[in-house]
Amino acid sequence: MSGRRFFPAKALVVALLGGLAVLYLFPFYWMVVTAIKPLSAFYRFPPTIVPENMTLLPFVSVMVRRGFSVLLRNSLVVCLGSAGLGLAVAILIVYPVTRMRVSRRFRRGLFNWILSLRFLPPIVVVIPFFDIVRKAGLYDNPLSLILLYTVFSLPFATWMLKGFLLEIPQEIEEAAWVDGATRWYAFFRILLPQLAPALLATLVITFALAWSEFMFAFILTATPRSQTLPIGVASLVTQFEIIWNEMAAVGTIAAAVPILLLLFARRYVITALTFGAVREKA
Amino acid sequence: MGARGLTRPGPIPDRPSRHLTPYLLVAPPVFLLAVLVVYPLIYNLGLSLRNFRTGEFVGLHNFTRAFQDPLFFASLKATGIYVTAALGIEVLLGLSLALLVHRTIRSGWARSLIYLLFIVPMVTPPVAAGVIARLIYTPTYGVLNVILLRLGLIQHEILWLSGAGTAMLAVLSVDIWQWTPFVFLVCFAGFQAVPLDTAEAASVDGAGGWRLFWDIELSYLRPLLLLVLVFRFTDTFRVFDHVLVLTGGGPGASTEFLSLYLYRVAFKFFNLGYAAALSLFVLIVASLAFAILSRYLGREVSE
Repeated sequence: MSGRRFFPAKALVVALLGGLAVLYLFPFYWMVVTAIKPLSAFYRFPPTIVPENMTLLPFVSVMVRRGFSVLLRNSLVVCLGSAGLGLAVAILIVYPVTRMRVSRRFRRGLFNWILSLRFLPPIVVVIPFFDIVRKAGLYDNPLSLILLYTVFSLPFATWMLKGFLLEIPQEIEEAAWVDGATRWYAFFRILLPQLAPALLATLVITFALAWSEFMFAFILTATPRSQTLPIGVASLVTQFEIIWNEMAAVGTIAAAVPILLLLFARRYVITALTFGAVREKA
Repeated sequence: MGARGLTRPGPIPDRPSRHLTPYLLVAPPVFLLAVLVVYPLIYNLGLSLRNFRTGEFVGLHNFTRAFQDPLFFASLKATGIYVTAALGIEVLLGLSLALLVHRTIRSGWARSLIYLLFIVPMVTPPVAAGVIARLIYTPTYGVLNVILLRLGLIQHEILWLSGAGTAMLAVLSVDIWQWTPFVFLVCFAGFQAVPLDTAEAASVDGAGGWRLFWDIELSYLRPLLLLVLVFRFTDTFRVFDHVLVLTGGGPGASTEFLSLYLYRVAFKFFNLGYAAALSLFVLIVASLAFAILSRYLGREVSE
């Protein structure tokens, strides 16, 4: 291909990609813009693409008047609890299986079984869980959500940790053992510090996944005592008269948290979602 | 970046050992996990064999009932359309975009920018994506109609969420918006995994862009495409969140996919027995997807 023909083609591609980027970001932009409009501006026809009379009132109204700050707190508690618990359980499972002698079949079988949880449709779990949870008196209790989210964070947490652990050579710990350190000392003082960024990335990803979860919370909660933010979002959308800017405001908050977190942990997103089959360096 | 190779220096000597310590260490968490997962599934089986209201044992009644349930078949059909369309469009779009970017965009920062841009819809909670779609498709104030009217592409506003076909399109568009980036990013990584000398050797041999794609790059991408298909199948087959927010399954039952129908049977009609029986069908289909993937991951990834 000659250089002369190359440039227009490239310009065309860049223009195409630029157009696509605008098309791609516009829906998101529109939600944020709607969230900072007064309701009167929303009903104005035609709507203005660039917002005028910007206001933060919809956010305040939704958080204070509608009491969604409670749902926000529930979400934080449930997601932090399940991500932390999931990480702890994942370490308990992954360390012995990758750093100690176990049969290859056991190791593979265990990891595969945990991976299979990723394929378990939530509706299949939630039907029996609903009945169990009601009989156990845990209906509308954040604890039942924490338990479920922990279980469903495990495929991601264990597979991520497994990938990270295999990258740290065992010789580092062995050197410490030779110097007289116990296994526990080597684990806490040598391995864990090395693993710290990986643990943080795992925590961020499982937190964000739990944050987005909707079906379990929708079915297993009933009151602001345990409802999470996505339930609040849905309640604003399905009510008879929609307050559009407030709906957009909650949607924006619900989306902002995982987006900010995962931009921070972006190197790990694709690797986590494909269970290590694809690795990113970006 | 790219597909992980087969060999990796594993620290574990591969022979059976008599040391029980690791097994004892993993036993408690694995046992707890098994209780939390396996028990509900067995419980489900129990539910499916009973009439939920009376608690009376009804054998396979809940299963045979499914064959005479037109709503179940309607939801099966809707799910089939949704899965097929979403997978087809996402893979086609994602793959061609990946090829385009791989061939034309060389600068590192531009690639990082694209990466960043594409992460956003992917990590947006489906419920929030449903809100966005509401703002776009709603009658009168929905921004899509406004834009289309302005551009003169339509004369009268389209009631997107009131027609069966357009509602399906609206629901699909959310999935495509959110998940084409996933296909793109995986395929893009796949393109970069093609060894440079292989690609160069091919172009020295006179292979053009298309030949390079069909004969060489596609063979590197094939396992990744399988992976993408399995994951996208799994998630579209269980679709629930954004549909509930956007159409609630309507109009009629045109977007009432399997999860939504099961939700209605279980928690609106409160027929947990029948819902449990139907959910076992969903479980079987999902297990097939896992069987395919575990064979692939077992071969290529887990050491």
